[in-house]
Amino acid sequence: MEHTQQRVVHANVVFGNKSENELISKAKKGDKQAFRSLYDEHIGRVYALCYRLTGEKGMAEDASQEVFIQLWKKLANFDGQSQFSTWLHSVTANITISYMRKQKGWVQRIFNLENSGINEMPAEENSTDVDLEALVIRLPERARMVFVLHAIEGYRHEDIASMLNMAVGSSKAQFFRAKQLLKDFMGVDDE
Amino acid sequence: MSNFDDKLAQHISGISKEKQPERDLWRGIELGITSQQGDASQDDASSSTVTSKQWMAIAASVCLVTVLWFAAPFAFKADESRSDGYALIDAMSMQQQQQVNSLLASYESTTALTEDWQEQLKELDDAADVIKAALKDDPDNSALIKMLHHVYQQQIALIERVHAPKWQQI
Repeated sequence: MEHTQQRVVHANVVFGNKSENELISKAKKGDKQAFRSLYDEHIGRVYALCYRLTGEKGMAEDASQEVFIQLWKKLANFDGQSQFSTWLHSVTANITISYMRKQKGWVQRIFNLENSGINEMPAEENSTDVDLEALVIRLPERARMVFVLHAIEGYRHEDIASMLNMAVGSSKAQFFRAKQLLKDFMGVDDE
Repeated sequence: MSNFDDKLAQHISGISKEKQPERDLWRGIELGITSQQGDASQDDASSSTVTSKQWMAIAASVCLVTVLWFAAPFAFKADESRSDGYALIDAMSMQQQQQVNSLLASYESTTALTEDWQEQLKELDDAADVIKAALKDDPDNSALIKMLHHVYQQQIALIERVHAPKWQQI
């Protein structure tokens, strides 16, 4: 029974990949309908990553649009060596980071707003019912980006350092900082 | 691994990989893609070398767009308070029309280098109309505003390019 289920799952994966490859191939030739189907299939994951990186709905929506507009141009670079979703994920992270750099206002560059707002946040009850996403969004920008890329998306600190243009040690330090802040937000005492 | 790390790992594994945006993003994406295709075909049609005067024309266009670019966010902030997000788009369109008219007037005595430039200008006009129609529903959409800036920039560049003297095209 279990073996049959595994085969069905495998068949679905193979069939899914085949139809996705067809869509990619059509979209590469300029088929907008095929590109729309790819959008429908992947917008959920793309937007989720954009939202967690930017920490703001409007910016995440704009960044998601930017991702798909750039994807239309970059699709020719996809050689099929890796999973499309993995490749799209990496494209999304890079485009969103660069979009955030462009959007960062001069006010934010002059005044470091990195720590603003943290102290105003009340600690949550120490319960198991925690909305981690809401807490992650409350983290300061750099700590949030490192946490999302490392803990949620599984990138290595070396890769994150290169993506965010920082030292590997800084990436690890920001991750530690994010964890400490999350601990505070959740109302967990130091062990 | 500490208790907190265990707890955090549990929360992370429970976090949803997908999240749907609240507004429809496809329309802006489709317009962006269409605008890119328009750029590509226009580039093919006018693949002449860029001369010093054309560089100046491009620089002037870039300056105009930069001014609009910096002015737009502030104007939009003001618009929000007036609850009239589309007023800036109208102002931009009017300013663009004035610039196009004055450019055309200044090139009145110059023969255009291509015959179909007015068709190309009309195509860009149509593209601007489509974007403006979308902006009526969603006046704060920054991707659409960027596209409209871009189309207007293309119009100015087109007029200047086709009216450059022939000796400058060599």
